[in-house]
Amino acid sequence: MTFWRAAGLNYIQYSAIAARAVRQALKEPMKSEAAKREGSAIRIIKWKDGKAIKE
Amino acid sequence: MGFSKFLILSPLPCKVICVFPSPSSKRSPASISGTSTPSTSSHLCRDFLSFSLSPAAHLSSSQCIVGHRRCSVCQVHQDVQPGDSSRASTWAAAAAKYARAERELKPARPYGAGAAAFYDKAEVKALEDKPQQVIVACSSDRGLCGAIHSSICKHIKAELAGDASKAAIICVGDKSRAQLQRTLAGSIIAQVGEVGRKPATFEDAGRIMTFILNSGYEFGSGKIVYNKFKTVVSYDTLEMPFYPSDAINAGEKIALYDSLDADVVQSYMEYSLASLMFYTLKEGACSEQSSRMTAMDAASKNAGEMIDKLTLTYNRTRQAVITGELIEIISGAAAV
Repeated sequence: MTFWRAAGLNYIQYSAIAARAVRQALKEPMKSEAAKREGSAIRIIKWKDGKAIKE
Repeated sequence: MGFSKFLILSPLPCKVICVFPSPSSKRSPASISGTSTPSTSSHLCRDFLSFSLSPAAHLSSSQCIVGHRRCSVCQVHQDVQPGDSSRASTWAAAAAKYARAERELKPARPYGAGAAAFYDKAEVKALEDKPQQVIVACSSDRGLCGAIHSSICKHIKAELAGDASKAAIICVGDKSRAQLQRTLAGSIIAQVGEVGRKPATFEDAGRIMTFILNSGYEFGSGKIVYNKFKTVVSYDTLEMPFYPSDAINAGEKIALYDSLDADVVQSYMEYSLASLMFYTLKEGACSEQSSRMTAMDAASKNAGEMIDKLTLTYNRTRQAVITGELIEIISGAAAV
């Protein structure tokens, strides 16, 4: 069992962390171009019994 | 009997109507000495409104009525004028966003093609003992794009028409949530908001799929319903299937692939879920922008036609009002 799975991450989260490390290691101008592909603006709201769970 | 000079002087110097009725009672309007037609109809309105509001006591009831008629005509013109300038800018903004979406779709295609090819070659099928499925409705928050969102929701509703108990729906985008929550609210397990304003990133796709994996919902198969971009004027509503790792391990031709163990299959399954979600988000965004552009184009063409028709009506009405006014003045003066 890989160390990150033992820590509770799944592969998506693991590769996202690795990608962030790669982006930070880049030099300009590639760094600023890559920074545009980073970040997540979405909001996930769980639903239960036909209604959204308000937090 | 004398005749009276009947002078209407507007407060603004650009328009003066002087009427000199002759002794003979009936005189054609051609005898009017001079009427300078206003350069724009707005001047006409302003003149007339300021005249009709002035304390000048010469206002007869007929002039008031004509004033009201003129005001309603001017209202139409004022409503119609702003539409002209805003037409070009909305279409240009939609075209710029579409160009960007298409540019970002090109490098996203291999993500979808690669993962789909794996499932295809290994002949992975849905597990029979786990009929539950996850359906992701890949739409967005923003409207005015034609039938984009409704085609996805129609597809899902048709699929779940018989039996919605064995499906869990994730609504990516407010538009799909609004349409699906009416009849399928019991099957929705999550909604994803703030989709569509900024271009989707791989991290967005990863978060959605992480949610599915951690939700604890045991599914035997899943699908993403999305709009695949064909051309600027057309798109297809398709399904992109995905499977959990025990379905992959049960795939018939899985032995084709070397050195697969449970860990690798699990990791690849998770990664391919994120890749497929990313691909469908990019395809969906491109279809949506192209559809919005065509919808805006059609809307502005319709608006343009309406503006032309209304302008003709406005001009005819204006001329009729002026003619009527002149006739009333002439006949009124002639009666004095």
